[in-house]
Amino acid sequence: MDGFKRRLSDSVQSRLSVTLSLAILIVALLAGAFAFISALDETHEMQDESLRQVAVLFDRQHMTLRYPGAERIVGDDEESRIIVQYLSDSAKATGNDDASIPLPFPVTLADGLSTLNIAGENFRALVRTTSAGERIVVAQEADVRDKEARESAWRRLLPFFILFPVLLLMVGDLVRKLFRPIATLSAEIDQRDQQALHPVDEQHLPSEIRPFVVAINRLLKRVAQAMEAQRRFIADAAHELRSPMTALSLQAERLSSAPMSEAARQSFAPLAQGIERSRKLIEQLLALAAAQSVTQRAETAVSVHALFRRVLEDLLPLAENKGIDIGVESVEDVQVVINELDLFILVKNLVDNAIRYTPAGGRVDLSVEPAEQGVLIEIKDSGPGISAEEQELVFDPFYRSLGTGEAGSGLGLSIVSTIASRNDASVTLNFLDELSQKGLRVTVRLYRPVV
Amino acid sequence: MRILLVEDDLMIGDAIEGVLKDASYATDWVKNGLTALAALDTQNYALVLLDLGLPGKDGLDVLDAIRARNNPVPLLIITARDGLDDRLRGLDGGADDFLLKPFAMAELLARMRAVLRRRGGNAQSLLDNGEVSLDLASKQASTADISEVQLSSREFALLQALLIRPGAILSRSELEDQIYGWGDEVESNAVEFLIHALRRKLGNHVIKNVRGMGWMVSKGV
Repeated sequence: MDGFKRRLSDSVQSRLSVTLSLAILIVALLAGAFAFISALDETHEMQDESLRQVAVLFDRQHMTLRYPGAERIVGDDEESRIIVQYLSDSAKATGNDDASIPLPFPVTLADGLSTLNIAGENFRALVRTTSAGERIVVAQEADVRDKEARESAWRRLLPFFILFPVLLLMVGDLVRKLFRPIATLSAEIDQRDQQALHPVDEQHLPSEIRPFVVAINRLLKRVAQAMEAQRRFIADAAHELRSPMTALSLQAERLSSAPMSEAARQSFAPLAQGIERSRKLIEQLLALAAAQSVTQRAETAVSVHALFRRVLEDLLPLAENKGIDIGVESVEDVQVVINELDLFILVKNLVDNAIRYTPAGGRVDLSVEPAEQGVLIEIKDSGPGISAEEQELVFDPFYRSLGTGEAGSGLGLSIVSTIASRNDASVTLNFLDELSQKGLRVTVRLYRPVV
Repeated sequence: MRILLVEDDLMIGDAIEGVLKDASYATDWVKNGLTALAALDTQNYALVLLDLGLPGKDGLDVLDAIRARNNPVPLLIITARDGLDDRLRGLDGGADDFLLKPFAMAELLARMRAVLRRRGGNAQSLLDNGEVSLDLASKQASTADISEVQLSSREFALLQALLIRPGAILSRSELEDQIYGWGDEVESNAVEFLIHALRRKLGNHVIKNVRGMGWMVSKGV
């Protein structure tokens, strides 16, 4: 019950439905009661009127009475029959039976209508003094009259019984229909990707909630601007860092070829490494900013094998330095429709990671195959793998595994996940060998058309 | 050889000037586009190194001005702008090459040599990746340890194909295209056989195999 109350106070839709239903119910009950009572009264009045008409007919036509005794006539019904008798004949009434006329009415009855109990039955009786000075009584059993009146009243109620549920259903349906745009709207906003900050369509919305949606759109616009400003700041900052980095690395290179003492040379090596690392970090920041930018990129049919080849051409020196056997396992090439630069940066970052975190003398394999919906790209290495606890964390910017001793930028997998999310791709990490918990298998599923 | 360096960043200009001096190039360093155009009017340069983000007159405008004066001087753009538009505008505008900051000294010098060689118009007589050099006239190959080994014409064709773009991986079919003319019958294992022969003559490290992809010679240093 508590839940129902909360729903009632929280939801305009429920409140509207329940209030309208209650209002309809109360109105229907009141109207029904009134109709019932008035139908009852009307019927009784009509019945009294017919008694009066019989009395007038009798008087006007100067009829005389003859009591039928026990004989039966077709169409005569003891229950509903109308009785006419001289009031003075009441004394001649033979028994307690209400079936045989005359009936024992009190002789002292005044002119007019009254309800009396005669021989155990209720009668409605009209007494009239005719022009000839005789007093007649026209009477009918009250039970029949009441039964008829009730039946007529119930018939009057019938439309209410049919229309009330129909009205309830219509109101419920109408309320639901009116609120449907809101439900669709919230579902649409709910399903959005975190990068999707485009305005909500306000064309087909009721004018009551349009101001609300307009306000949300303004907020979305401001958020998009803020995110774009932030992204641009990172890109600009990285961009600005390029020039001093260039100067720094050129000077370091010059220095390396200058004559210097053994001690100086020993401290020079880490300096050069530091410069190289900063350079790489700047490149990765720029790549991440580029991946996050909202601009549309051209999509073409990309040969995955040709792309593997370019990645290997770039990264082979790194693999050779560590004596890592790197190669492509799949024989058949697959062509997929995607932005080539996006896919290149995605694969390159994954292969770069594989080489970095695989110990010297290890092995890295690339492969591609067509899958049910699109393409499956796998990059496997013989490194230590990534534990289940870490598998979510590694996609966060600047996250680095402990104890690997690798000087990565910590941005590689962030770039990968950003590119994946904007290209209908999923990236999953598993151990290559689940039993010994060793090796890393990165599976990239591209939900993209294959040529 | 006289080089014009157009670079407004003092640190980078200083560093590049030093690098060029070390490599025995005579260098004139100017810090904005107008001075650069003035210098080009008075002096003949073998090569221009042009930064794009210049004060006063943008690098691309300087490039347009140089080409508008029908000055054919070889020109290499060095820039921090990585947008594809800038790259295309630079190359379409008549630049010979485009080098993105940050770059290594060796890369700058190699690109400069390449531009000068291309512009010099004289056909290369020697291919070299730093590990192995190939004399295109005599079809002789040399390494640091072995000098002037005579190659068969198919061995030569294969090594030449690899040395044209050091660091690029060539697949079996691409190498077959290089060593067989049209109509020649391709023998199976011919590529492996030739590579085996080349390795025996020049050493195992000269040609590298990339599993599942093909072969390459290293990019050199």
